[in-house]
Amino acid sequence: MYEIVEGFLEAIRLIVTLDPDVMAIAARSIAISLTATIVASLIAVPLGAAINFGTFPGRKSLINLIQTLYSLPTVIVGLLIFLLISRVGPFGFMRLLFTPTAMIIAQTVLILPIMTGLTISALSGVDPVIRDTLRSLGATRLQFLVNILKEARFAILATVAVGFGRAISEVGAAILVGGNIAASSFASSTRVLTTAISLETSMGNISQSIALGLVLLAIALGVNLAITTVQHR
Amino acid sequence: MHVSRYINLIIMHRRIIFAVAAVMVALMLICGCTGTTTDPTPVEKQQLRIATTTSLYDTKLLDHITPIFEEKYNAEVLIVSAGTGKAIEYGQRGDVDVLMVHDRAREDAFIADGYGINRRVFAYNYFVLVGPESDPAEIKGMQPEAAFTAIREKGMAGEDVVFVSRGDASGTHSKEKAIWKGAGFNYSTDVQGSGDWYQEAGTGMGATLTLTNEKQAYTLSDIGTYLAYKGDLDLVALVDEGDILLNVYCAMEINPEKYPDTNTTVAKDWVNFLISDDIQKEIASFGVDQYGQPLFYAAQDDWEKIGVTEAEVKDPIA
Amino acid sequence: MIELENVSKYFGDTRVLDGVTGKVNQGEIFAVIGPSGSGKSTLLRLIDLLDTPTGGTIRVDGTDIHAEQRNLSIRRMMGMVFQKPAVFNATVAENVAVGLRFRGASKSEIHTRIEEALDMVGLAGYGERRARTLSGGEMQRVALARAMVIEPEILLLDEPTANLDPVSVATIEDLAVRINRDLGTTIVFSTHDMYQGQRLAHRIGVLMNGVFAQVGTPREVFTLPASREVARFVGIENIVEGVVVGENAAAVVDAGGVRIRARSPFEAGEAVSLCIRSEDIRIAVADGAAAAPGRNALPSTVTSVVPRGPFSRVTVDCGFALSSILSWKAVDNLGIREGSRVVVSFTPESVHVVRRE
Repeated sequence: MYEIVEGFLEAIRLIVTLDPDVMAIAARSIAISLTATIVASLIAVPLGAAINFGTFPGRKSLINLIQTLYSLPTVIVGLLIFLLISRVGPFGFMRLLFTPTAMIIAQTVLILPIMTGLTISALSGVDPVIRDTLRSLGATRLQFLVNILKEARFAILATVAVGFGRAISEVGAAILVGGNIAASSFASSTRVLTTAISLETSMGNISQSIALGLVLLAIALGVNLAITTVQHR
Repeated sequence: MHVSRYINLIIMHRRIIFAVAAVMVALMLICGCTGTTTDPTPVEKQQLRIATTTSLYDTKLLDHITPIFEEKYNAEVLIVSAGTGKAIEYGQRGDVDVLMVHDRAREDAFIADGYGINRRVFAYNYFVLVGPESDPAEIKGMQPEAAFTAIREKGMAGEDVVFVSRGDASGTHSKEKAIWKGAGFNYSTDVQGSGDWYQEAGTGMGATLTLTNEKQAYTLSDIGTYLAYKGDLDLVALVDEGDILLNVYCAMEINPEKYPDTNTTVAKDWVNFLISDDIQKEIASFGVDQYGQPLFYAAQDDWEKIGVTEAEVKDPIA
Repeated sequence: MIELENVSKYFGDTRVLDGVTGKVNQGEIFAVIGPSGSGKSTLLRLIDLLDTPTGGTIRVDGTDIHAEQRNLSIRRMMGMVFQKPAVFNATVAENVAVGLRFRGASKSEIHTRIEEALDMVGLAGYGERRARTLSGGEMQRVALARAMVIEPEILLLDEPTANLDPVSVATIEDLAVRINRDLGTTIVFSTHDMYQGQRLAHRIGVLMNGVFAQVGTPREVFTLPASREVARFVGIENIVEGVVVGENAAAVVDAGGVRIRARSPFEAGEAVSLCIRSEDIRIAVADGAAAAPGRNALPSTVTSVVPRGPFSRVTVDCGFALSSILSWKAVDNLGIREGSRVVVSFTPESVHVVRRE
């Protein structure tokens, strides 16, 4: 009990005083996961639109497959990416292992299924009359897609938030492909909130762990709060 | 051109835009706070990737010496901390430039297979057998092999004796297996899976010590990590003498013939840096202020004692 | 001009349209009426290229619209308003602007046209409101403005007032008439409300069982229904089965033993249905003066007297059931109640004879 209280107080101090280590790790977490989310969005939204509005054999099965992949275990993604980008792997020549880029790739792969699936849900949730109206107003294919996306913007935004939340809170892939490196430069380091919590806890630095945990919690809650506010307007 | 249309758009989406802007400002603030640590040197820094055993990392020895290296060689050191087994795996896959490990037998195999070259020994210390103050297996002061035998006997007999193994193919785990062998046991049949008394943590040294402390069990640790963690632990060193407890740390380059894009120059610099007089002094004095005793001994002058050649501790790599 | 030629549409095994043939003239208001599920919406959607017909052709100004590659430009000749008021989650002005944006109209043109369109539907000054906050009737007016702002040659209205309150219904109807009159826009609208069809349309197509059962002016459809089903749908209460027994022009029809004189083009032996409007049936007391010469006069017994608004609906049995509409006062004067002996009479001209299928 003492340990928790003590750790908590120290954690508050670390946050209030903007402890450079904690802040750097938090900023890196946000930067990596935000990038992964943006990349995943750029793939998932058009892909989701193509699947939702497309007619091709196996469409239903594809949607089922995507939904199954929601529960893709993070360590499996980590292992897969590790094997692909490790020096002896097919993409080893790019020397991506233990870089933030590797983590961005892993997180992108990880959240791609859920973001694609939720995009499909968001688009299929648009009132069919709205779809008919757009077409009857003489929309080209592109104008139609752009306007449907505009109409589904809040649901898409929620999708992005879900993706970001999943990316920033995962640890398995981050530690496997990132290596939890604390380098002297911000950009070379791969230590993010989750991997740092894992390391600090194993090293017995409970207060550091709690501080990082609180920051992670605040980010996750903050993102969801922002989305809820926007959606309810 | 359609300025007012954009203004309309902005008004329409002002809350979203505001939210995005807020996040961006927050990001910039955070980056700004920490950005000052980034070296503004325009020359692109060489990156050195090191896979190290956890004991060197958890003691913070590397945190202590890497800034000196980075400044001197204008390089950036990226350290991945893992058990010796995993570190060697990274080396075999060519994912790092330098290995820092402590498992002589596997190092030899690694070098023989052509993955590693230019091994240099830079530090040593001893393993210690730590356990609860109450010492239920009564091993205090015993030779390591005898102590292991006693722990196994009591544990098998169902007494409240537990041994926590690293269980992660690390150098420490190798050493533990060597001691079991020295005590006359077949590790995989007599020890591993022989009962609840023997538990495998499957994690780094620091985490294993924390776990051992929770269970009030016995474990084998390098002295450095043990001392670094001692303040938080209710574990005492019960066995710390015996030749078999010697723990020798080396650093080696990954063979550029296997992986041509290995960063050999900086890798050489790093190995030579470790055996340089200045750093040998740093290693020997590291932790004295904090723990009252050194965590590591410099290998430089004790090559005979630790059973390696003089060249291995003194000759810089060409 | 829109020509429908044997248009059919199947959804899987469900046959919705089964050979619709008809023509909508330039500049007219054409109502597609029919019971729910008769395929009215489907027909409008086929015209607007929202769906593809299973068979047949639809021609607009002579062009087979579903055979064309450039169907976007054909669709852009048309505007459509749907049954469910649906607006984009944006301001009213942005909603109205969508079609113009699609066509790449200039900023200033969009601005002017939005103003005009909103003014037309009586929503001037609503431009900056969020469309989702409007009432259903206002939303439907936005939808109408949105469809009209692109100045379509053809306006398709799919049951545009089905979900609206009576005041909004009147507003939308008024707008439709004004758009047709002032802009000359051809309007095709669907409704299940036959009176709306009657009020607005120049011509009506009655869609039943996947085909136009009848196409004609409201007067034709309401007084001279082409079939028993159409008669039933347009509200003719008395439909009597019979067989022609007399000669042409002044045929005599045997309806279950009762002889009725009617005008009919059919030969003797033809099975027919007689459609008689309640309003055309008179009731007199049984022992009163004889009915005017030439009228069908049938002695009957009153079976029920049911109040209906300011009138009473009197049903009698004269060998078959007939209903008439009388004012309360008339019912009182005649002293009619259940079981009363009466004589019902109607002219041969008020009997509309259709062939039984």
